[in-house]
Amino acid sequence: MEVVSYPHLPAELSRAYIALYTSVTNAGALRKRIINAASMQGREGEDEREAVNYAFVDPRLITSPLHVKTAVLQAVMAQAQGALRTKTVHSEVLWALNPSNNISEAIRRYGVSEACTALLVVRVDGSALEPADVERKMGAAVQGQLVPLTQLGRLTDWVAVKKCHKLNNELALKVCGQDGERERAVIDNIVVSSVAMKSVMG
Amino acid sequence: MTAAPDILAEAILISQGAEAAIYQAILHQSPSSEATPVFLKYRFNKQYRHPTLDASLTRSRIAGEARAVLKCLRNGVHVPGIRLVDASQGILGFEWIEGKSIRMLLGGGAEGEEETEYTADLLEDEDAVDSPEDELQSLYGLTPDVLMAMIGTEIGKMHLADVIHGDLTTSNMMLRRMFSTASSSTVELVLVDFGLAYTSTLVEDKAVDLYVLERAFASTHPDSEPLFATVLQAYGKTMGKEWANINRRLDDVRLRGRKRSMVG
Ligand SMILES: Nc1ncnc2c1ncn2[C@@H]1O[C@H](COP(=O)(O)OP(=O)(O)OP(=O)(O)O)[C@@H](O)[C@H]1O
Repeated sequence: MEVVSYPHLPAELSRAYIALYTSVTNAGALRKRIINAASMQGREGEDEREAVNYAFVDPRLITSPLHVKTAVLQAVMAQAQGALRTKTVHSEVLWALNPSNNISEAIRRYGVSEACTALLVVRVDGSALEPADVERKMGAAVQGQLVPLTQLGRLTDWVAVKKCHKLNNELALKVCGQDGERERAVIDNIVVSSVAMKSVMG
Repeated sequence: MTAAPDILAEAILISQGAEAAIYQAILHQSPSSEATPVFLKYRFNKQYRHPTLDASLTRSRIAGEARAVLKCLRNGVHVPGIRLVDASQGILGFEWIEGKSIRMLLGGGAEGEEETEYTADLLEDEDAVDSPEDELQSLYGLTPDVLMAMIGTEIGKMHLADVIHGDLTTSNMMLRRMFSTASSSTVELVLVDFGLAYTSTLVEDKAVDLYVLERAFASTHPDSEPLFATVLQAYGKTMGKEWANINRRLDDVRLRGRKRSMVG
């Protein structure tokens, strides 16, 4: 798990905890749990919502650690400025990742689905949380193997990324020819840039 | 005046201009991964403008700059990637380009040093300092002629994407070394500062863009002026069949420029 800090933001938004899991076995169940938690009543409902109070992201459309960090930063800044376009800072992360403005499309594309065998988990919170505690709670929600964020890029479905960001006919990719490594770096730079500037894209 | 955004509190101020301040900053601080710096441009409020008007003006300038850069990225023009946009506070963040501006490499000195040009003459006979040409050769392995061709090619790629830079000077171009593997590296010419950029397909706009650079060359690098032909040659090669029209229009633009300066 990686702990990113934003010392310039209000205390309650000053940290993001980002973890990557592979060999995930409970994606389908987790998805149902998230949906059910939303409508559960009373104390039980609160506990259940807290247990899944994360952004769960499908890493197949994520090109690098910088890609997810850029989305998290834009979401945290929107929250700090009272400018969220979605309900929570966690759904805002999914919104920031998606090229269009449609939030349900963002959740469908970037959120957890039954087919996920790897998951990226993000929690935005203050500095009062113990990282070890966060990691334990994430591990309680996701059954899988915790791996370093540097694995991002190896789990990527590059064909899907190109389609999602409409990159197939772009000159920047054509000039890479057979150089796959270079092409992936070019794609990552375009995708990261698109996420960073999404708020002025409209 | 509103307080400076908090994100700048820990950033390093690099330069303070009339329209914007430039900083180097770390966006994602994390003990477990390497910190990569970004280049932040902060367009602060103008006290003499109406605050609401100012905010929407800043917003549209930032949106315009970011869109032009993204268009360049998609078209394979070498520009810094975008790393942060905060339109409400007037902040744009770019990938940090490790390298030198062409202005420095051609011996143009730092910006705002024009008034003290005579000091350069005084230093001329001291051969202690590396000449810019030596630096170009030792740091990047380039001759001035090759550099000029790189400039022309990059501008050509930008114009083929119908992006007009609006402020082409040698300060707004940088050289950086890209390491693909441990042993091999390439040198890239990177275009920066798209604050005045816009999209246009017009021959006139492309010709004026080139003319601005030609004038900038003449004033900051009088010795390199003959080399400008190489810029145009490489540009023309990149532009292909569009070049003949732009070249003709460039002649018109030069003529208009000359007339204006005779009157003025
Ligand atoms: N992404 C970058 N990384 C590192 N250095 C950069 C980057 N972009 C620009 N620079 C350097 O900083 C200088 C100033 O940048 P820029 O031109 O964008 O700012 P500006 O305030 O709009 O300048 P001006 O209005 O004087 O042209 C450039 O001349 C260049 O050498």
